[in-house]
Order: sequence, then structure tokens, then C-alpha cells
Amino acid sequence: MLIEQAAYANRWRPVSPAAKGLFAANALIAAFAASTPSTAAIIAAVLMTVTVLGAGIALLSYLRVSAPALLFLALGCLSLAFSIDVGNGGPVLQLAPTGWHKLAEVGARSLGALAALLFLILTTPLIDLIALLRRLKTPELLLEIMVLCYRMLFVFSVAIDETLTAQSARLGYASPRLAMRSLGELAANLTLQVWQRAHALHVAAQARNNDGPLRFIEPVFPHARRDCCIAALAGSSLIALALVLR
Amino acid sequence: MHIMEGFLPFKHAVGWTIAAVPFVAGGLLAIKKRIRDKPEQRMLLGVAAAFAFVLSALKLPSVTGSCSHPTGTGLGALLFGPVAMAPIGAVVLLFQALLLAHGGLTTLGANIFSMAVVGPFAAAGIFRLARSLKASFAVSVFLAASLADLSTYVTTSLQLAWAFPDPTGGFVTSFAKFAGIFAITQIPLAISEGFLTVLIFNALARFNPQELQELKLLPADKARA
Repeated sequence: MLIEQAAYANRWRPVSPAAKGLFAANALIAAFAASTPSTAAIIAAVLMTVTVLGAGIALLSYLRVSAPALLFLALGCLSLAFSIDVGNGGPVLQLAPTGWHKLAEVGARSLGALAALLFLILTTPLIDLIALLRRLKTPELLLEIMVLCYRMLFVFSVAIDETLTAQSARLGYASPRLAMRSLGELAANLTLQVWQRAHALHVAAQARNNDGPLRFIEPVFPHARRDCCIAALAGSSLIALALVLR
Repeated sequence: MHIMEGFLPFKHAVGWTIAAVPFVAGGLLAIKKRIRDKPEQRMLLGVAAAFAFVLSALKLPSVTGSCSHPTGTGLGALLFGPVAMAPIGAVVLLFQALLLAHGGLTTLGANIFSMAVVGPFAAAGIFRLARSLKASFAVSVFLAASLADLSTYVTTSLQLAWAFPDPTGGFVTSFAKFAGIFAITQIPLAISEGFLTVLIFNALARFNPQELQELKLLPADKARA
């Protein structure tokens, strides 16, 4: 997973997740508060520069991660730019009266918000974000599902990779029909593993006298207060930029 | 089909989040009760969420010849129930936003509503209806999985049409526009996912029928292994 690799290897890994979360939240507010599309585009550019130059995320990784979202944005914006006129006989596709303006407004806002999200996820590992959610009083049961999901998804990913390799070596994906059958068997096998692995985890937890929440040692961020102050200052500057620029 | 970060206007993003919260909270309460009765189920839901996450990353051959990704909405609803799917789906969608940048944080509520609320409830309802109309197990599973997939896509199109009504034709024209664009990928995907889910249940019924009997999806006399 490209995002998780970047989140562990970037320059700002030792910065407090609370500070990065605070800055990303402010950046989201700035993207929504931007009064013009060009302001939102400037905010997106600032956030991208901060992520690439500040945190040291490779530009190619950044573009690869954002590609699927940009594809959705292109499709969505195109449908906003055009309108269907059903008045004169048959339906006719035409440029909407406010099409380009709407396209620019939604497109720039989405780019700004996407850049804020990418800043957060490319600089902060998911396990740190879960710890942050715990401090923000997220329901314990939801956190438990998240912790287990995070740990098990790598186990399942390995299981899928190995099964796919074994099936491919036996020409399991040689035709669409065979591919569908192989995929069905793979998913059925994984489905069974859900119960087997859950039972094994339950037995392991019971054997260790587990009586409720699953707790892990959380990393300590010695400069958390300083980081939060800087993030608040930088975040409020972004919001001010969004409100001032016209 | 995820709505990307920042695409919905602020009021819509907040509104869909408020709409999704009661379902997630209700699901958590139901899970808590279930865990009180059967403590061994505590681990099951986290593992199930991981399963749903990796399933959504699989490449599914589509009937048009292209590839897409299954949503797992129908399968999850039949295996774990539609009520439990709301919190499980919420976690999966959050992880997809945080680990894959699919979807987003401001659009999480809208995505939860379409994929973790409407889809699973549609799947469970269609499965029950089909079984009560004496449809075979395979046909019931196919209808549940493919129509659940379609219902999530229709809901997403409705959400987008509501947020961005067409300047000349209004809500209906906008819905037709969004639904028309996304139909190119979503209808073949729904059919493929229906077939895939039938194959999964066939394999389960053949090799491990007791799991399906415990879930009350398969009557005891249908076990073949």
C-alpha cells in the first residue's frame, strides 16, 4: 500500500498526529470556505507543496495516489458542465448555462479537500490516526473493529496474494469464465477464514485473560504541544488566506 | 462507487453524515448486545471488516470485458446481517479513504448511507422476498447481490443529483445524467458481482455447509458435503 509506506517513511512521521489532524481539518475548512475557484486552487497547490516538499513525499507517489480520485472528479465535473435539453423533440446534450462556473467551483473545492486528505494520510500512519480517534472519545467498539481490521487486512492480503499466485500457476485466470470461477473459490476460502481466524483470535485473547478493549502501547510524541501550536497557526493562516483572497 | 473528498457541498456533506449516524449507532448497539450473548463474536466483526476491505480490492472480470472491484455489500449483508453491516461498512469506507484515498472524510456520511445502509438492507430484503417467493437459493443470492449493488449506485446518483440539480431540467434530468454515466460501469459490475456471490455461496454450501446453516441461510437438508 503506497499510502501506508509513505506515512511511515516521510519526514514528518515524528510530528504529533494531533497536530497533523488539526492542520488537515483547518485545510478542509479553508477548501470549503474559499470564496472563488482560484482561491481553492491556490489552497490545493499550497497543500500539495507542503506535502511534497515539507514532508518529503515523492511527487510520483503523490500523483499515483490521487489518480483514481481525479478520474472521479473529471467524470463528475464533466456531467456538471453539460445539461440535457428534452424540450425540442429528442434529448440533446448541451453546455449548461452555468456549466463552466459550476465545474470550476466544484473542481477547485474538491482538489483543495483532496489535497487536505492526502496531506493527512500520506504523513500519518493509520494506527496513529486510530490512537487519535481514541483520544477524541470515539466509541470503544468501533475502535476495536478498526484495530482488528487494520491488523487482519495484511494477513488477508498475504492470503489473497498466495492464493492468486497458486491459482494463476494452474491457469486459473486464463479466460474470463475461469477467472470468475477461481475468484469465487478464492473468496469462499477467505470467507471461511473469517470464522477460523476470529475463533483463533478469541482463543488467544482468552488465554491472555483479555476482558474487554484491545489496548496497544501508543508512540509518544514529546513535542506534541509545540507541534499543535504550529499546526493551529499554519491552519488558521490557510483559512485566513481562503477568506481574504478574492 | 465512492463520492470523492470535497465533491459534495458543505450542507449535503453534513446532512448525509447526520443521516448515517443513527444506523451506525444502532448497529453498534446491536453488536454490543450480540457480543454480550456470544462473547466469541467480538473478534468476528473486526475480521469481517478486514475481509470486506480486501474483497473490495480484488479485480473482478466484468461482462463488458473490462475489470472492476466488487463492493461486497450483498455478501456482507447475507453473512453478517444488514444491521451489523452499518458499522462494519463505516470502518471499511473510512479505511478506504485513509489507506487508498477512495472516497473521503467529508463525504464519508454519504458513502456510508449508500454503501453500508441502503445496499445491505436492500440485499437482506431482496433475499428474504425471493426466498418467500420460492426462488432457488442461487437465484435469491444472485438477485440480492446484484440488486444491492445497483441500489447503492442509484442512491449515489440520487445524492449527486440532489446536490447538483440540472440548471434547465432540475433534479430528474440531473439524476438521469449521473445514473447514465455511471451505468456504463455499474450495471456490468452488478451482474458480475451477482455471479461471483453465487459462486462463493456454492463453494461454501459444497465444502462448509454448517457455516451457512448456522447463519440460517441454508436449510439443513440442502447440505451436500
